[in-house]
Amino acid sequence: MTTHLEQELEHIKSKMFEMADLAIESIVTSVQALKNSDTKLAEEVLRDDSLLDNLEVEIDNECIRILVMRQPAAVHLRFVLSMLKINTDLERIGDLSSNIANETIGLNGRPPLKPLVDIPRMAEIAVGMIRDVFTAFTERDAGLARAVIARDRDIDTLNMQVYRELFTYMAENARSISQALGLIMVSKALERIGDHVTNIAERAIYYIEGIDIRHAEE
Amino acid sequence: MAEKIRADNLTFYYGNTPAIKKVSLSVKENTVLALIGPSGCGKSTFLRCVNRMNDIIPNTRMEGNLLIDGESVYGARYNVTGLRRRVGMVFQKSNPFPKSIFENIAYGLRINGIRDRYEIESTVEKSLKSTALWDEVKDRLAESAIGLSGGQQQRLCIARTIAVQPEVILMDEPASALDPISTQKIEELIQDLKKNYTIIIVTHNMQQAARVSDETAFFYLGDLIEVNSTEKMFTRPEMEMTENYITGKFG
Repeated sequence: MTTHLEQELEHIKSKMFEMADLAIESIVTSVQALKNSDTKLAEEVLRDDSLLDNLEVEIDNECIRILVMRQPAAVHLRFVLSMLKINTDLERIGDLSSNIANETIGLNGRPPLKPLVDIPRMAEIAVGMIRDVFTAFTERDAGLARAVIARDRDIDTLNMQVYRELFTYMAENARSISQALGLIMVSKALERIGDHVTNIAERAIYYIEGIDIRHAEE
Repeated sequence: MAEKIRADNLTFYYGNTPAIKKVSLSVKENTVLALIGPSGCGKSTFLRCVNRMNDIIPNTRMEGNLLIDGESVYGARYNVTGLRRRVGMVFQKSNPFPKSIFENIAYGLRINGIRDRYEIESTVEKSLKSTALWDEVKDRLAESAIGLSGGQQQRLCIARTIAVQPEVILMDEPASALDPISTQKIEELIQDLKKNYTIIIVTHNMQQAARVSDETAFFYLGDLIEVNSTEKMFTRPEMEMTENYITGKFG
C-alpha cells in the first residue's frame, strides 16, 4: 500500500527530475550557444533559468510542508533532507550555465578564440554525470553514485588542460587575454558544475545508505 | 470550498463556568480541522457542541450559534436525531456493540429503515473496505467484534459511523489508546475520508494534528487563541501563545 506520504514524496521526486532535465538543458544549450556564437540561444538560457529558480522554491516549500505535516522518519526523512540539498545544487548549476551564456553574449557574435574541444567534452561528462546520478537515486544504486563522484576527476583534468592551453594563448598574444579569460571562466563554471553533481551524488548515497561521505573520500 | 460548519460567538457553560468563550470559527467542506490545546481548554466541549452531545449534560447552557450548511443546529425545531445522523462521532475508546462484526455496521442501517439484505451487505462491505478493514475481517464477519484488536475495533467504529453516510465526522482522540501502527492506519484513513466527509478531530498529540489536518485551532482556557492553516500554524504561528504551546514551553 502506498501511503499519502509516499505519494507526496513521489511528487517531489518528479519535480526534482523536471529540475534535473532543465539543468541538463541549460548546460547543453549554453555550451552550444558558445560554440556557435549564438547570442539568441544564450539569451534563452538566461530566460529559462527562472524555471529552475521557481522549482527550487516550490520543492523547498513542499519539503518544509512534509517535514512539518508528515514528520517523515528513516529513509523518508533522508529522502526529504537530500531533496532540500540537491535542490540547491541544481539551481546553482542553472546559475553557472547562465554565466556561460553571459560569456557568449559578451562575445556579441564573434567566434570564440579557438575551436572548442575540451569545453564541450567537459559539458558532455557533466551531463552524463547528472543523468547517472539521478538513475542512481531512482534505483537506489549507491555504487553508481560513487562512480559518478569518480568521474568528476575527468572534468578537473580537462579544466587544467584548458587552463594550460589558454595560458599559452595569452603568453603568445596579449590581445587574446580578454577572450582567453572568458573561456577560463567557462571552463571554471563547468568544473564547478562537476562539483555540484558530486554533491548530488553524495546526497544520493546519504539517501540510499544513510551515511555521510562528504569530505571522507577525498 | 464551501463552508460546512460555522461557530458564531459560541459560549458553553457548565453551571456558571464557561468552558468555551465566544468561539468563532469556520470549517470548510472536505477538510480536516484539528483542535489542540492543554487538558481542560475546551476542545472536547467544542466538538460536542457540533452534534449537540452536550444537550444531555444537566445544568449546562449555550450562547451564540452553531451552523451546518448555513442552518443553525440549535434552532427550536431542529431535528436532533437527524443531526446525529448527519454528524457521526468516533470516541477515544473504541465502543463496538457486543455483536458480530457484520451486525455492528448493519445495525445502524436497520434503525435507519434499510431492510434490503443486498443493500445492507453491500454497504457493510463498502464501509469495511473504506476503512481498510475488509481484507482483515472478510472471512469472519459473523464473529464477535470484541475479538478484534484495539486498532481494528476503532476502524470498525469508523466503518459503523460512515455506513449511515454522515456529512461530518467528529473524532475525540481516536488514536490515543492505540499502538503506533494502528495510529498510522487511522491517520491514513482520516486522509482518505476527507475526500467525502468534513472532519473535526480533537487530539492531545500535536504531531498528529500536524499530520492529519488542513486547519488547526488552538484553544487555551476556553478561548480560541488561533485558528490557521496547519502548515502555517506549525511553521509561523501568528500568536506568541501558540508558538509557546507548540514548542512545548507550556501545557
